[in-house]
Amino acid sequence: MPTSSPPGRRARVLSPGTSRPSSEAREELRRRLLELIEGNRVMIFSKSYCPHSARVKELFSSLGVDYNILELDQVDDGANVQEMLSEITNQKTVPNIFVNKVHMGGCDRTFQAHQSGLLQKILQEESAYEYDLIVIGGGSGGLSCAKEAAILGRKVMVLDFVVPSPRGTSWGLGGTCVNVGCIPKKLMHQAALLGQALRDSRKFGWEYSQQVKHNWETMTEAIQNHIGSLNWGYRLSLRERGVTYVNSYGEFVEHHTVKATNRKGQETYYTSANFVIATGERPRYLGIPGDKEFCITSDDLFSLPYCPGKTLVVGASYVALECAGFLAGLGLDVTVMVRSILLRGFDQEVAEKVGSYMQQHGVKFLRKFVPVMVQQLEKGSPGKLKVTAKSTEGPETIEGVYNTVLLAIGRDSCTRNIGLEKIGVRINEKNGKIPVNDVEQTNVPYVYAVGDVLEGKPELTPVAIQAGKLLARRLHGASSEKCDYFSIPTTVFTPLEYGCCGLSEEKATELYMKENLEVYHTLFWPLEWTVAGRDNNTCYAKIICNKLDQDRVIGFHVLGPNAGEITQGFAAAMKCGLTKQLLDETIGIHPTCGEPCLRAGPQPSPPRDGLEGPQEASSAKQVQDQGPGEICQKLSI
Amino acid sequence: MAAYQEVCVCGFEEFNQAVEQHEGKRIFALFVGSKDAEGNSWCPLCTQAEPVIREGLKRASQECVFIYCQVGDKPYWRDPNNDFRKKLNVTSVPTLLKYGTPKKLVDAECRQANLVEMLFCED
Repeated sequence: MPTSSPPGRRARVLSPGTSRPSSEAREELRRRLLELIEGNRVMIFSKSYCPHSARVKELFSSLGVDYNILELDQVDDGANVQEMLSEITNQKTVPNIFVNKVHMGGCDRTFQAHQSGLLQKILQEESAYEYDLIVIGGGSGGLSCAKEAAILGRKVMVLDFVVPSPRGTSWGLGGTCVNVGCIPKKLMHQAALLGQALRDSRKFGWEYSQQVKHNWETMTEAIQNHIGSLNWGYRLSLRERGVTYVNSYGEFVEHHTVKATNRKGQETYYTSANFVIATGERPRYLGIPGDKEFCITSDDLFSLPYCPGKTLVVGASYVALECAGFLAGLGLDVTVMVRSILLRGFDQEVAEKVGSYMQQHGVKFLRKFVPVMVQQLEKGSPGKLKVTAKSTEGPETIEGVYNTVLLAIGRDSCTRNIGLEKIGVRINEKNGKIPVNDVEQTNVPYVYAVGDVLEGKPELTPVAIQAGKLLARRLHGASSEKCDYFSIPTTVFTPLEYGCCGLSEEKATELYMKENLEVYHTLFWPLEWTVAGRDNNTCYAKIICNKLDQDRVIGFHVLGPNAGEITQGFAAAMKCGLTKQLLDETIGIHPTCGEPCLRAGPQPSPPRDGLEGPQEASSAKQVQDQGPGEICQKLSI
Repeated sequence: MAAYQEVCVCGFEEFNQAVEQHEGKRIFALFVGSKDAEGNSWCPLCTQAEPVIREGLKRASQECVFIYCQVGDKPYWRDPNNDFRKKLNVTSVPTLLKYGTPKKLVDAECRQANLVEMLFCED
């Protein structure tokens, strides 16, 4: 008996009024089913309430593969269909899945086929794409994804091309981190730290008569050689895994097809089943007269063939402060021009301490100014530039003369000129970033994205590497693990390093309300700084706990030497659910800078006579309870 | 396929002289364990890699100089302070490198034709 139903809701395979098919009707049914099987790349006979059916649908969705479904519970003669399917396939159950006319089986067999790679093979038979995966962008995210996909047996291509900066700077395979980011930055930071160490060394008894000076060219040559070996290493590792690397600019021309243009302008086309956009970002310019002609950015700084001399750094990002920091550490005259706050997004109390340390150590700050014009006074390597800047608060204008102007005001995603509009990939028009779901899939199912181009995700190398690797594994059946973007640690390598994991105090207050937070602080004086005669009230640790969740540590901040090394361990602890109590129960390593982080107390106090910031009130009890070790600590520091 | 000039040297001094003589040219260098009177190297990997490298060399896209350098006997090589290690940063044999660049292949990489080809080809 046909049941009544709202119009348009139920599909019918057979004409209404039929409940017991005649042999004619059965033939008609068989024909119609075969039509569905042959006419669709993926055909799923399913039931809407069936969880196995749901799993299979999700699988194809996450692979970006379109499928057609017939819900047998929503069709009047679903039972007949199921019986006919059983005749055709010898399978009585749903979901019953066909791919390119091949009967895959049910949910389990389809998942097995996915894991073994068989599903991919069958999916591609009709489409005949040249590659399984093309990655556009050979940086941290792109290379990690490509390598993993190749390890899983896929045919992979990486398209990497560096459009020269306005100053003409370019670089090899490896992306921002390796060439113009983390790696050269940390090496130059180290060069500056060594300068400081030389100054400290005399206090520790080292005697030498030579004046210590720094040679920029020696440093950059050594750093560029190391980067060159990394570029080569990446090319080796791609070749070893059979990944095709093409040094060409990739852009979409139509669905599943990219055009690759090399340095000489030659164009080649490639097709692929899936794509990953990992094109990263490039430094932003101010849009004022003289910016592109005379200013440099981080793209140019690390391979600059001459010492930059007296430098104006425009910006207050970590890039600006790190660069200003090491340039000053190498002995250069450095000024930082800041429009508003330092290190936007980071804990502001600590950010201000970072800036104030830099200021105390010779970096000049021009706060609340923006440049409006850059003029060249003299050509040269370096030349002389005149910068005119306006106050953000009034009509005041200032001028300054510098050898080099370094712009570090932000970075823009490389998503506007890669043909995304041709295939309908949506981007955030304001900032060019690509919104993705929790499996890094864009709005176009066969196109994914990783790394700095992603909307709302931290722009860090390890994040891109992890996301890229997991994406490759999911796409090729090896896992269903998603990237966890929660509580990612990072470190700003300014002269006084700032490591953090979790929430800033501002963010924590916004999310949890001040009354539900307990904030523990301490100032500390690293032992190595004592004899060297360095500041005793500068290094700082702050721990933010959520009172509503057993004093769970939700924010960790440390300002001091080796902040990155310290923070890494705490990040792992936070992933394990670190609480204040666990911190208190952890015995410190003495004498280190990590140790005071464990002992942060309810409020900071200035240290007396070289003692670490003591925590009277609530941690006084802990000090008493601890043995000689703790007392030792208070005396020797 | 481009022409190449082969220069055979033994030891660090001779290697440096050869480099100086051909200054300004594109130089590839292969470092192998020295061969005995019968022409056998004490380094089996070197023996395996050599034919692969010579094949790759034939396909080099541009003119170059190929320095075939026997480093010395096994005890010399084992010395952690030998000149190749200290002054040239060549720490294993076989090593195939493009002089003056970071392009280098070491050990088993030297007998992989696809990697050797990549090293000999210009970017």
